[in-house]
Amino acid sequence: MAAFESTLPGPLGSAADHPPALPAALARARAGDPQAFRAVYDAHVGRVHAVCLRLAGDARRAEELTQRAFVAAWQRLPSFRGESAFGSWLHRLAVNTVLQDLRAESRRHRRVFPTDDLAAFEAPVSAVPPGTRLDLEQAIAALPPQARAVFVLHDVEGWPHADIARELGVAVGTAKAQLHRARHLLQETLR
Amino acid sequence: MNCHRWLDARAAYADGTLAGAARADFETHLVGCAACRADLAGLRALPDLTRALPRAVAPARDLWAGIASQLEAQRADLADSPAIDWPWRRFAPWALAAGIVVLSSVAARRADPAWSVAPLQGVPEVDRAAVVAPAGFRPGQWLATDASSRARIAVGRIGEAELGPGSRVRLRGVSGRNHRLELARGSLRAVIWAPPRLFFVDTPAATAVDLGCAYTLEVDDRGDGELAVTLGYVALAEGDRESLVPAGARCRMRRGHGPGTPFADDAPAALRAALAEFDFVAVPPNGTVGRILAAARPADAVTLWHLLGRTAGAERAAVCDALARTHPLPPGSTRDGILAGDIEPRRAWAESIGLGNFSSR
Ligand SMILES: [Zn+2]
Repeated sequence: MAAFESTLPGPLGSAADHPPALPAALARARAGDPQAFRAVYDAHVGRVHAVCLRLAGDARRAEELTQRAFVAAWQRLPSFRGESAFGSWLHRLAVNTVLQDLRAESRRHRRVFPTDDLAAFEAPVSAVPPGTRLDLEQAIAALPPQARAVFVLHDVEGWPHADIARELGVAVGTAKAQLHRARHLLQETLR
Repeated sequence: MNCHRWLDARAAYADGTLAGAARADFETHLVGCAACRADLAGLRALPDLTRALPRAVAPARDLWAGIASQLEAQRADLADSPAIDWPWRRFAPWALAAGIVVLSSVAARRADPAWSVAPLQGVPEVDRAAVVAPAGFRPGQWLATDASSRARIAVGRIGEAELGPGSRVRLRGVSGRNHRLELARGSLRAVIWAPPRLFFVDTPAATAVDLGCAYTLEVDDRGDGELAVTLGYVALAEGDRESLVPAGARCRMRRGHGPGTPFADDAPAALRAALAEFDFVAVPPNGTVGRILAAARPADAVTLWHLLGRTAGAERAAVCDALARTHPLPPGSTRDGILAGDIEPRRAWAESIGLGNFSSR
């Protein structure tokens, strides 16, 4: 069981957050048993879907990305060597899947995913009628994509700034500045 | 109402991380700025709201069916694919891995497979330029790690490789059927999901030919090295000499000699020692083959089978008889055929042992 304990700090590391470890099902899935993979899916889908939903900010897309993440996990299971908790490994894979999708999206619509365009952070992308009260999930979904990514990874998922900056391909200072803007926009939307 | 000039200071102040003169400046501003005070109240409420978010959110509809159909499609592709030399279907666990390979190769055809490098630890270098974020990796470029760095190489869309500390690897070429790295020194772990014989790693002693697998290659400063396979098969080739290394086995290689004879991960020390002499000493001492056979267990069939193609006369007969004691010859294959050096019976024997349908040269 020790091989499946988390080595990551922060929220990922607390045992209570992990679905029950599945060494047996995991081993069978790793050897190519789709039925066993179904059990792995059942144990982890809520967690994977949550991070896809918050990063993507769109329910339909989040469903598609969740499916894509599990297919990718199935393909890469042979390379999972149990060095980190499976949940953490899968979480990283899901985050990568969403970020890749956001990057591809930004290439299609240059404007949406600027690296350092601060103006993009001044106004939420989705139009929120003034005076509308939103809950935090909706407010997160309304953030510009990159500010949303930084906020979700840092404040919700507990990633360190350095990891976030690396994943997004921006400087650490940029990631911090975007986090500040994301928090500012959120509290303003929620007020 | 917004007060953008103080955005970063406000966030740091709310966090309790603003200090010294910057803190004093902000406090001076704060007492006169209602916008900042309102923002600050909102910022301070945010962590509690964030902590209250559920860690897991079940999707509104069942997503498994869509996932299962993709896994199923991969298996269907496998069934339609032409027979290959390697008996994938015999190995239930690999049958699906091979199916994934089909899907990935479709993807590889769809888009130009770009190679890239990402740092995993420390600061690797591509052509002496630091790699701090994922970057392209082009033919001719060298990727180097020092004692405290590691890097991940995305092998187009066909797989990925991790370069260990103290290593140097060059991207030699990329074309439809030829993805080739040169590992000059250090360690490389590759996980490849492409069809067999698309991915090659040259080392000073031999070339590793991927047959759909996961493996680690290590090369020392002299250019000698060792291959360890954890999934599928790898062919280790140099000149007319080829060793086929299945999962759970490893194979040494020496510069000037090429690949040695594969042996099981847990092979007895006496077998390994005798094998080193057999493989790499110009004139092995008398009785070397005898010592290998004396140390061999049933699980060392991979070694004995390779020796069939590397011995002659009485030695080959002794190897054949030793292997036959634990793994009987399959129907249609005869001892005489094996001793005559015929390829077909040897290939059939490998298949019946479960080593794969391959021929050794
Ligand atoms: Zn102010």
